Amino acid sequence: MFRKYMVLLRMKYVEMFAYQLATIVWVVGAMIQPLITMIVWMNIYPQESDSFVLYFTLLILVERMTSAWDVWELDREIREGTFSYHIVRPMHPIHWAIAENIIYKGLFLAVLLPIWIIVAFFVPALQPHMDWAQWGMFVVAILLGAAIRFLFSYTCGLLGFWVTKVSAIYGVFEAVSLFFSGRIAPLSLLPPVMQEISLYLPFRYMIGFPVEIATGAVTGEAVGFGFLGSAVWVSLLLMVLGLLWRAGLKKNQAVGG
Amino acid sequence: MQRHWRIFREFFRTCLVEELEYRSEFIGNLLSSVFGIGIAILTIQIFFYQTDQLGGWVYEDVIILLGIFNFLQGLIDFALRPNMSRLLQHIRRGTLDYVLTKPVDSMFYVSFRHLVFWRLIDVVLGGGLIVYGLMQKQYIPSLSDFLMFVVSMFSSIVLIYALWMLLMTTAFWVIRMDDLSFVFNSFFETTRFPITMYQGWLRIVLTYVLPAAFITSTPAAALLGQWNGVTTLVSLVVAGVFLWLSRRFWRFALRSYTSASS
Repeated sequence: MFRKYMVLLRMKYVEMFAYQLATIVWVVGAMIQPLITMIVWMNIYPQESDSFVLYFTLLILVERMTSAWDVWELDREIREGTFSYHIVRPMHPIHWAIAENIIYKGLFLAVLLPIWIIVAFFVPALQPHMDWAQWGMFVVAILLGAAIRFLFSYTCGLLGFWVTKVSAIYGVFEAVSLFFSGRIAPLSLLPPVMQEISLYLPFRYMIGFPVEIATGAVTGEAVGFGFLGSAVWVSLLLMVLGLLWRAGLKKNQAVGG
Repeated sequence: MQRHWRIFREFFRTCLVEELEYRSEFIGNLLSSVFGIGIAILTIQIFFYQTDQLGGWVYEDVIILLGIFNFLQGLIDFALRPNMSRLLQHIRRGTLDYVLTKPVDSMFYVSFRHLVFWRLIDVVLGGGLIVYGLMQKQYIPSLSDFLMFVVSMFSSIVLIYALWMLLMTTAFWVIRMDDLSFVFNSFFETTRFPITMYQGWLRIVLTYVLPAAFITSTPAAALLGQWNGVTTLVSLVVAGVFLWLSRRFWRFALRSYTSASS
C-alpha cells in the first residue's frame, strides 16, 4: 500500500507541474474574495483591523488546506463515462484523489509558509499568538476539516450516478457554507440564530473551527464540543460515502450495460 | 457601424435559435439566478447587521450598487464569457485562420459570436434590484440624474469590454490556461462594494490603474443624484483610452500570431 502511494504521489506531482501557471492563478484568485471581505470588516470595525487581518489570512490558509475539488472531476467523469477506467483498476479510485490532495496541499504549504514567516516579520498583525496545545489542536482541526470537506465533495460527486445536476446541487451547498463556515464573517459576528445553526452543520468544522482555535475565539469546553462535532461529521460522511459507493457501482453497471 | 449592428443581429438570431432547443433548462436557470442574487443580498445584510454604513454608503445605496453589479455581470455572462474559451481553442488549434479570413472585423467577431441568452435573467434581476433599492430609499431620480446614470453606465460597459479584451488577448501567449476569465472575475469582485470602502493606495490603484471605481460606483452615485460632470467626463475618457489600448493590443497580438497548422 505504501509503495503504491509513493507511485501515486509522484504521478500527481508531475501532473501538477504541467499546469503550474494555471495553479498559481487559481491560488491567487481564491484569495481575492476573502481579502475583499476582510476590507469590508476593517471598514466596519476600524479599531479591530489587526484581528481581522489575522482572521482572514488564517482563513485563506485553512480554506486552501481544506479545499476540495473532487465533485467537479467526478461529475464530469461519471457523465462522460471515463470514470469506468477508474473503477476497473484494482485500487479504489478515492486513493487517486487522496494522493492529489496530499501533493497539492503539501506544495501549497511549502510555498506559503516561508512567505508568511517573512511577511509576519514586518507585519506584526500576522503573528499568531498560540501556545503549543493550540498549535496541536489547530493542526488536528485542519486535518479533520480537510477530511470533512473532501468526503463531502466526494460524496456529492458520487451522486452523479443518479442525477446529472450535481454541480448545481453542490453550488447550493457552497453558497450556504459561505455563511456558516465563517467565510463571510467570523461566526461571532453573525446573528445568534445563525451561530446556533452553524454548530450542527458540517460547514463550520471545515474552515471556521480551525481558524477560531488559532485566534483563540473558541476555548475550554467549546473546543471539546467542536472536535466532537468534527468527529461525528467525519464518521457520518464516511458511512454515507460507503453506502453511495456500493449502490452507485450497481447502478453504473446497469447503465453501462 | 451599421454593418456591425446587422452582423450582431445575425449572431443574436442564430444563438437564440440554438438556445431555444434547450427550453426545458429555463426554469433551472431562473432558479439559480434568483438564488445567486438572494445570496448576495443576504451577504450585504450580514454586514449591515453590524453597521449602518459601508464607506459612507447606507444599506439602500449598497443594494442599488449590487443591482448595477448584477446587471453588468449578466451582460458579461451573456455576451463576453461564452466567447472566451472558444478564442483559446481557436488559437490552440489554429482555427483562428478561418476567423481572420472572414470579411468581418476579427476582434468584433471573436468577442460577440456566441451569446448565452438565459444570462439576461441576471440583467433583468439586477434592474429589478436597482428599482427596489430606489423604492426603499424613496428617492426618485431626476431627469439629469438618469441621464448621467445612462452616460456612466455606457462608459462602464465600454470599460468592461476593453478590460475583458485586454485579458483575452493575452491568450495568444498564455495558452496553457483553460479559463482566463477567472482572472477577470477576481478583479470584478472588487466592484461589488463602493469604491470609498477601499483606502490608501488600494483606492488609487482601483481608480486609475484598474479602474474599478468607474464600473459600479460612478453609475450608482449618478442615479442617487451625487454625480458631478467632471467624474462622468473622466469615466468616458478612461473608457475611451482603455478601448483604444485593447484595440492596439489585439492588433499587436495578431501580428505575432503564427497559425498552428503546418
